[in-house]
Amino acid sequence: MRLNLKIWRQAGPGAAGRLEDYTASDVSSDMSFLEMLDVVNDSLVRQGKDAIAFDSDCREGICGMCSLVINGVPHGPDRGTTVCQLHLRRFKEGDTITVEPWRARAFPVIKDLVVDRSAFDRIIIAGGYVSVNCGGAPDGNAILIPKEISETAMDSAACIGCGACVAACKNASAHLFMSAKISHLSLLPQGQVERYRRVVAMIEQADADGFGSCSNEGECEAVCPKEISISNIARMTREYVRAMLVAGK
Amino acid sequence: MTTRVRVFSSSVGTKLLIGITGLALFLYLVLHIGGNLMVFLGRDVFNQYSHMLLSNPLIPVIEIGLVLIFLLHVYKTITMFLGNRKARPIPYEQKKYAGAPSRKTLASSTMILSGLWLLVFVIIHVSTFKYGTEYEAPGTGIRDLYRLELENFSNPLTVGFYVLSMLVVGSHLRHGVASAFQSLGATHPRWTPRLLVAGKVAAAVIAGLFMAIAVWAYATGARS
Amino acid sequence: MRLDAKEPSGPIASKWDRHQFEMKLVNPANKRKYTIIVVGTGLAGASAAASLGELGYNVLNFCIQDSPRRAHSIAAQGGINAAKNYQNDGDSVYRLFYDTVKGGDYRSRESNVHRLAQLSVNIIDQCVAQGVPFAREYGGLLDNRSFGGAQVSRTFYARGQTGQQLLLGAYQSLMRQVHARTVRLFARREMLDLVVINGKARGITTRNLVTGEIERHVGDAVILATGGYGTAYYLSTNAVNSNVTASWRAHKRGALFANPCFTQIHPTCIPVSGDHQSKLTLMSESLRNDGRVWVPKKQRDTRPPEQIPEAERDYYLERKYPSFGNLVPRDVASRNAKQACDDGRGVGDSGLSVYLDFKDAIERLGPDAIKEKYGNLFHMYQKITDENPYKVPMRIYPAMHYTMGGLWVDYNLMSTIAGLHVLGEANFSDHGANRLGASALMQGLADGYFVIPYTIGHYLAGESLPKVTTDHDAFKESADRVQKQVNQLLSIKGSRGIREIHRALGRIMWDDVGMARTEESLKRALAAIPKLREDFWHNVSVPGTPDNLNQSLEYAGRVADYLEFAELLALDALDRSESCGGHFREESQTPDGEALRDDANYSYVAAWEFKGVGKEPELHKEPLNFEEVHPTQRSYK
Ligand SMILES: Cc1cc2nc3c(=O)[nH]c(=O)nc-3n(C[C@H](O)[C@H](O)[C@H](O)COP(=O)(O)OP(=O)(O)OC[C@H]3O[C@@H](n4cnc5c(N)ncnc54)[C@H](O)[C@@H]3O)c2cc1C
Ligand code: FES
Repeated sequence: MRLNLKIWRQAGPGAAGRLEDYTASDVSSDMSFLEMLDVVNDSLVRQGKDAIAFDSDCREGICGMCSLVINGVPHGPDRGTTVCQLHLRRFKEGDTITVEPWRARAFPVIKDLVVDRSAFDRIIIAGGYVSVNCGGAPDGNAILIPKEISETAMDSAACIGCGACVAACKNASAHLFMSAKISHLSLLPQGQVERYRRVVAMIEQADADGFGSCSNEGECEAVCPKEISISNIARMTREYVRAMLVAGK
Repeated sequence: MTTRVRVFSSSVGTKLLIGITGLALFLYLVLHIGGNLMVFLGRDVFNQYSHMLLSNPLIPVIEIGLVLIFLLHVYKTITMFLGNRKARPIPYEQKKYAGAPSRKTLASSTMILSGLWLLVFVIIHVSTFKYGTEYEAPGTGIRDLYRLELENFSNPLTVGFYVLSMLVVGSHLRHGVASAFQSLGATHPRWTPRLLVAGKVAAAVIAGLFMAIAVWAYATGARS
Repeated sequence: MRLDAKEPSGPIASKWDRHQFEMKLVNPANKRKYTIIVVGTGLAGASAAASLGELGYNVLNFCIQDSPRRAHSIAAQGGINAAKNYQNDGDSVYRLFYDTVKGGDYRSRESNVHRLAQLSVNIIDQCVAQGVPFAREYGGLLDNRSFGGAQVSRTFYARGQTGQQLLLGAYQSLMRQVHARTVRLFARREMLDLVVINGKARGITTRNLVTGEIERHVGDAVILATGGYGTAYYLSTNAVNSNVTASWRAHKRGALFANPCFTQIHPTCIPVSGDHQSKLTLMSESLRNDGRVWVPKKQRDTRPPEQIPEAERDYYLERKYPSFGNLVPRDVASRNAKQACDDGRGVGDSGLSVYLDFKDAIERLGPDAIKEKYGNLFHMYQKITDENPYKVPMRIYPAMHYTMGGLWVDYNLMSTIAGLHVLGEANFSDHGANRLGASALMQGLADGYFVIPYTIGHYLAGESLPKVTTDHDAFKESADRVQKQVNQLLSIKGSRGIREIHRALGRIMWDDVGMARTEESLKRALAAIPKLREDFWHNVSVPGTPDNLNQSLEYAGRVADYLEFAELLALDALDRSESCGGHFREESQTPDGEALRDDANYSYVAAWEFKGVGKEPELHKEPLNFEEVHPTQRSYK
C-alpha cells in the first residue's frame, strides 16, 4: 500500500520545525507503523539524507520509548496501544498521516520526533520510591497483601512512562503519570511509611518542571497505552489532602 | 513540610480550591433556583419569600462569603488557565479528540470562556436585581421583586441575553459538576459513572428552569 | 593466560558465606572516595548502581535510552525464579541449583550457580520491600507459576510484566540514590570504549547521543551491565537498540569473551510474517503452563485448526516428554518445533509455525481466569497477528532470544581486565549452554543487589589505585580512537542501507549459525561474514553529522561491531563440535535427535582473546569441574 506522510522535522532543540511531506510506497498492511518509518528512513539513508529521528526500543509496547502523535492523537487511533504496536492495517491506501512529536514545555524537542522526557525521571527522583536499602528486607510473605489490593496496585504500576498522557492533555499535565506511581505505592503496605512526603514532593516537582494542571477531561486516560484510569488522579488528590491534614498537625 | 499557602498554590491544591468553590457555587445555584421557582406561585408568595430571605441578619455575611468564594473561583481558574497555556508553548499542527473514555466535550474545552461570560453575566445580573429599582409591594412595605422581575424580562433582548447565559451556565455545569467531584478526589467505581450522568442532568435542569423563568416572565409581563 | 575463576574452597553450600567473610572491606567513610562507573541500567546495572550508591560509593550510571527505566529488562514478561518453596512442593536452594546446572547442560560453573540459587531467596524479599506488586493468592500470599525445566512452581510474577515491575523497583531505588546524590545519571550516552591504565579499567569513553560530544569519564572500577547480543541475528526478541558494542569494545581492550556460541532460541515467539519485520515478539514461556503445543499428524495439512479432530493432532511435547510435557526447557522445545516444521507438519501460510492452544485451559478455567493471567500477552498477540487467541490457537515459532555467552568473569564477576566487572546478560557466567526460563531476571538482580556490592569492595580494598584524571594519555588515545571511527563511518558515503547490511548479517546467522549448526554451515558463515564486513566499510551510507542526535550513526557503529563479533560467534560454534543446550551441532546428536554432549573433550568454558579484526583469536579454556551435579545425558522424558 501507499501512504502520504506529513512528518515534523526539526534540526535541533532551538531550531524552527515544520511538517514535511514523504510518501511510503510499497509498504505492507502487516507492518507496524514504526516499521513503515524504518522503510522511509532506509531510503533516505541510501540517498545520504538525514534520517527522521524518532525514539523506539522494545517495539512491543512496554519500554515507553516510542512517542509519536499520529493524526492528532498520541500513539495513534488504537486504544490501549503504543505506536510501536500500531499496524498499518489500521489505515487505508492513500491516507495522509500527520506525525508530530509530543509537545509540552517540560518535554522539549531534541530533534525531529524525539523529545527529552527527563522531567519524568525528576518526578520519580523527588520521591517515587520506597526507601529500603538492599539487605534488610523481611521475608516476602511476612506481610499479607489482599489480592484485590495488589491487583489494583498493579493496574497503576503498569504505567510505561511514555508521556502520552502529557502529550494528549490540553494542559500538558503530568497528573496521570505521577498519580499512577503515587497510587501504586500508597496502596501497598510497603509504601505507607513515606506516603505523605512522597505525594507532596512529586507534585511540587512536576509543577516546578512546567507541567500544567488537570482539567479532568480524561484525554490522558483515553490515549494511555496501559489504559490507566483517572481514578488514580483522584486517589492522588486524596493522598494530598491527607498529607495536608497530617502536615497541619 | 509544605505550608498551607504553598499547598493551595500547587497544581493539585489549585484543583482542590476550584473544586470546592465550584461545588459551593453549584449548591448556591440549586438554592437559587429553588427560591426563584416561587415566582410561579404568584406575586405575594414570591415577595414574602424574598423578604424573609433578605431580612435574615445572616444574609450579609453569607453574601460576603459567596462573593469571596466566587472571586476565589474566578482568580484560581484564570491563573490556572494562564499557567496551563504556558505548559505547551508550541501547539500541535493537528490535534484531535482522543475518543472514549475521554470526557472532553465542547463544554469542557470552553470552561474558561463560559466562565468569563458568566463573570460578566453575574455582574449585570446582580446590579439589575440586587441593586435594581426598589419598588415597594403595595400595602405590605416589603420590596416588590416580582414587579422588578416582570419589568426586567419585558424586554425581549434581556430575555434573549438571559436565555443565552443560561445555556452557558448549563455548559459550564455540564463539565463542572462532575469535574468538581473528581477534583476533590471523590471517585468510586460504581458511583462515578452515575455522577457523570447526574452532573449533566443537573446542568440541564438548572439551566432549563432559569430559562423557563425568564421566558415565563416575558410571557406573563406581555399578558398583563 | 591462565584463567583463574577464584572459586572459594569448601563445600558448595558454604562457599559464598565463607567468601563473604574472607573478602576485604572498604571502610564506610572511605566509600565515597571511590568512583564506580556502571554502564547499563537494566536489572543488573540499575540494581548494582542503586546498591553501590546505598553503600556510599560515588556512582556514575550510563544508559543509551532517554531514561534508565527503559532498559531492555523492562520487556521480560514471564517471571523470576526463587527457591522459596512457598508452595511446599519440594523446592530448595539445592534443587534450583541442580535444575539450573542440568538445564544449562553442564556447561556452567557450579559455584556461581549455587550462589545464584542461594541469593534468589533474598531477591524476592528485596523486591517485595520495594513495592513490586507480585501476583498474590486470595489469602494474601505470593503466588507462583511453573516454568520450563522444573517440576516445582517457583516462578514469581507480576502479570505478564514481571521484568517491568522488577526493573521499576530497581529504577526507583536508583532514583532514590540520585536524589541522595550518590548516583549521577548519564542517559542517552553510549559507551564506545573502555579506558585501561596500567592493566586496570579506569574509565570509559562515551558519545553523548544528543550533542555528539565524545566524553571521558574516570573511575576506580568499571561495571558493564549492557545486556546480551541477540540482535546479532537482526531479528530477535530483543529491543532494537540492544547491542554488543560495550562488551565488544571491552573485549578489544583485553577482556576475554566466553562461549559466544551459547545462544538461546526461544520456542514461543510470534512467527515471522515478512521481510519488513524489525523484531520478533516473544509470547512468554509462562503460556506453556496452560497452552498445549501441537501440529497436525498429517504433513501439509491445510485445514483450519478447529477442523482437525483430536485424533489427528500430535501433541508432540506431551508425547515425547511425558514427565515435563509442554514445560521442557527452551532448547528442547525449540528444536522440536523446528523438527516438526522441517518434517512438513508446520502450520500457517509459511509452514513455519506450530500451534499453542488454550482451548482446554479456557474450558477448564474460564476465559476470565486466562485473561487475568495472560491478558496482556493475548492482547499483544492479537495486535500483531490480527487473530484472536481466545478463539483460534496461537501460532508460534522459535526466535533468537537470549545469549548465555558474554564477557568471561571470575567468581567475583571480574573480567580478565582488573577492575572491569561484568553483570547480567553481558557476562557468561551462570546459565551454561541453555538458560532456564525466569532465571535471567534472577541472575541480573543477584549480581547487582547481592554480589557486586561485596566483590567490588574486595577489589577496591585490595588494589592500589593511584589517582588519574581524564587528561591521562590513555583517555586521549581512547577519545581519538572513538572520534576516528565516527569520522570514518560518516565519510564512507556509500549507497547501502545500514539496516540492509544488518539484515543480511542476520540471515547468515539464522540460517548457518542458528538452531542447527553444522561444520559446513559454520564455515559458510565464516566465509560470508568478513565479506559482508568489507562491504559495510566500503559501501554503507551513514548520513548526517556527528554533532547532534544521529541515529544512523549510532546504528552503524553497532552494526560495525556485530560484523566483527559475529565471526567470533561462528568460530566458537565451529570450535565446539559437540551439541549442548542451545548449541546444536547436527553432527553430534543421540539416535532420537537430542543434543549429544562430549564431556571428555568440551567440558570447559571457551574464552577468546582478541588479536585484531580478521585475525584468529586465541582460545583459553577454563575447565569445568562438577563435584555436585554429575553430568549425565539430560532427560526430560
Ligand atoms: C522479550 C523478553 C522476555 C524475557 N522474559 C524473561 C523472563 O520472563 N524471565 C527472565 O528471567 N528473563 C527474561 N528475559 C531475559 C531478561 O530480560 C534479560 O536477560 C535481562 O533483563 C537482561 O538484563 P541486563 O540488566 O543484563 O541488561 P538489559 O536490561 O538489556 O540492560 C542493558 C543496559 O545497558 C545499556 N547499554 C547497552 N549498551 C550500552 C552502551 N554501549 N553504552 C551505554 N549503555 C549501554 C542499556 O541502555 C541498558 O540500560 C526476557 C528477555 C526478553 C528479550
Ligand atoms: S518501542 Fe517500546 S513501547 Fe514502543
